[in-house]
Amino acid sequence: MDYPMADNTPSASLTQVETPIEYARMKGALLKDIRRSAYVYRVDCGGCNGCEIEIFAAITPLFDAERFGIKVVASPRHADILLYTGAMTRAMRAPALRAYEAAPDPKIVVSYGACGCSGGIFHDLYCVWGGTDKAVPVDVYIPGCPPTPAATIYGFAVALGLLGQKLKATTHIEADGEAAPISHPDIPYNLRVILEREARRMAGYRQGRDIAEQFLSLLDTPANSPVTERIARFLQQESDPRKAEIFARLQSIFTEAVSGGLR
Amino acid sequence: MFKLLKEVFRTGEATVKYPFAPLEVSKDFRGKPEHDAERCIACAACAVACPPNAIGIETDIEAATRAWVISYGRCIFCGRCEEVCPTGAIRLSTEFELAVTSKEDLTRRAVFKLAPCVSCGRPFAPAKEVAYVTALLAAAGGIEGDIERTRLLVATCPDCKRRHDATQVMNIGVAQMETR
Ligand code: SF4
Ligand code: SF4
Ligand code: SF4
Repeated sequence: MDYPMADNTPSASLTQVETPIEYARMKGALLKDIRRSAYVYRVDCGGCNGCEIEIFAAITPLFDAERFGIKVVASPRHADILLYTGAMTRAMRAPALRAYEAAPDPKIVVSYGACGCSGGIFHDLYCVWGGTDKAVPVDVYIPGCPPTPAATIYGFAVALGLLGQKLKATTHIEADGEAAPISHPDIPYNLRVILEREARRMAGYRQGRDIAEQFLSLLDTPANSPVTERIARFLQQESDPRKAEIFARLQSIFTEAVSGGLR
Repeated sequence: MFKLLKEVFRTGEATVKYPFAPLEVSKDFRGKPEHDAERCIACAACAVACPPNAIGIETDIEAATRAWVISYGRCIFCGRCEEVCPTGAIRLSTEFELAVTSKEDLTRRAVFKLAPCVSCGRPFAPAKEVAYVTALLAAAGGIEGDIERTRLLVATCPDCKRRHDATQVMNIGVAQMETR
């Protein structure tokens, strides 16, 4: 989100780079007729360097971006693609513009990482003016903090017109009668909270929630066999001792609750 | 030379097939936060927790709506939103192919209706949140066992609650309060 800026903030008055009218056609021609490697020049405008590490991970043999002819060069004068990483900081705006001017037309500008797209985690720092698009016109945004090498390759494929974009802006409007379901309404609320908390304490929020959910579904499913038997059967199939331990703990809480130990 | 060749053949091809074949990522990979608007109660816990303010809440009292907005371009994929969400409406998925050519495509909005306060009639909280909290409290037996009073209490805006409290205090009278 870009919140509207007050007229007196420094970045509100930044002049935008002007592009020739023919620019879109020139870029199209570059993408269509490029018969050689696409040369990439990186500009770090002020991120944490995580993005640079992922870019280099993307050109290692494991991901090998060079097999698509994507090559990192040392000078913007050789570049077809300018890769801006990091938030647009006060100090790096002029160098970023110089790199932009130095690259021959037509050029493709890629904004890399959360910082490049919008300022990311640094968006509200005193020295940050936002994303790359606050200084130069951007063609492709690659979100991520940092984007993984695979996301990097995907982003370049989108920039070079090889792959289509997947993400689309969506809007959900609340329908009439839409209601958020309460999970496991048959299990007493207090017991559910205790079980979930304990699972999350032992396994963290994600696995904890998943494990608690599994345990509660076991309690919740109507079956002929008693719950202890079902849990025992589930644990027999479970090869992870850590999960078995958490399940055992949840089960002891449950037994205590059933015998009236918990209120 | 022979040794090197042998090593090369032993290693085989290390390069992944992506993008020609799908890339396998770990099941707990932190990719795009997937928002399930049906489960969302617009409580804004995620907006408060989100470190880079990728999630924002826009309340429009005139239209009686509250919009939940995320910018994937701002998101740092930390999972704080998933951690705090009370209903499990948001979860980080394994989706990582997020590159776009226009910044607008990085946003997702969900617009929810605001419920009017039962006392003054002004919209004050998302209708889904009020319904969810009422249902949860009812499942837990209600406040002092009175489900109808619980429902009214949840559906009253903070301003009215304050006013009611003040009225009650006035009716009791200060002298009476001191002796209690
Ligand atoms: S997007 Fe994240 S990893 Fe990349 S420079 Fe910014 S903070 Fe660092
Ligand atoms: S993953 Fe982190 S940065 Fe992204 S929306 Fe959730 S809380 Fe915000
Ligand atoms: S925390 Fe969950 S329920 Fe609350 S607004 Fe965020 S996604 Fe919706």
